Amino acid sequence: MTKLGQWLCGLALLGSAWAALALAPPGLQPPAPLRQALLPLPVYLLVAFGCYSLATVGYRVATFNDCEEAAAELQEHIRAARADLRRRGLRLEPQ
Amino acid sequence: MATATDQLVGFGLVTFSLVLFVYYTLWIIVLPFIDSDHGIHQYFLPREYAVIIPVAAGLLLLLFIGVFIMFVMWKSGKHAKKSD
Repeated sequence: MTKLGQWLCGLALLGSAWAALALAPPGLQPPAPLRQALLPLPVYLLVAFGCYSLATVGYRVATFNDCEEAAAELQEHIRAARADLRRRGLRLEPQ
Repeated sequence: MATATDQLVGFGLVTFSLVLFVYYTLWIIVLPFIDSDHGIHQYFLPREYAVIIPVAAGLLLLLFIGVFIMFVMWKSGKHAKKSD
């Protein structure tokens, strides 16, 4: 089974469990505070996933390994290459 | 090492999402189990807003993404016309 199939099966399982508890007739409902916490659970999980994504992006931005010397060296190489090519007759757009 | 601004922005995002997560978890999951006469309830909006605000924010996000895509496609179409 593909990964997508696995994820969809898992979602279907959790979704039907949630629906069974949320749409239960008044006799079979879980106690009131539990039911109050249970009903917004899909929205809660979505928001939690969004927070996790945002935190991951922020952390990776903060710990990114800049190599400033390598960047400067690369720009120097590019400049030299463009000068050389222009000398040999290639028409380059101004950068 | 990332630049100082990168670090500031990055860790700012981490802190913001942490605060948001803790507040939202308290609101949705913890608050129903606390008696309604406890003082903590004054720091939280009525429960309906816990669903309305994320859904509205999500719709706004989709709107912005759609407008951005529209804008980019319009721009690239205009450039193709110009080069003809």
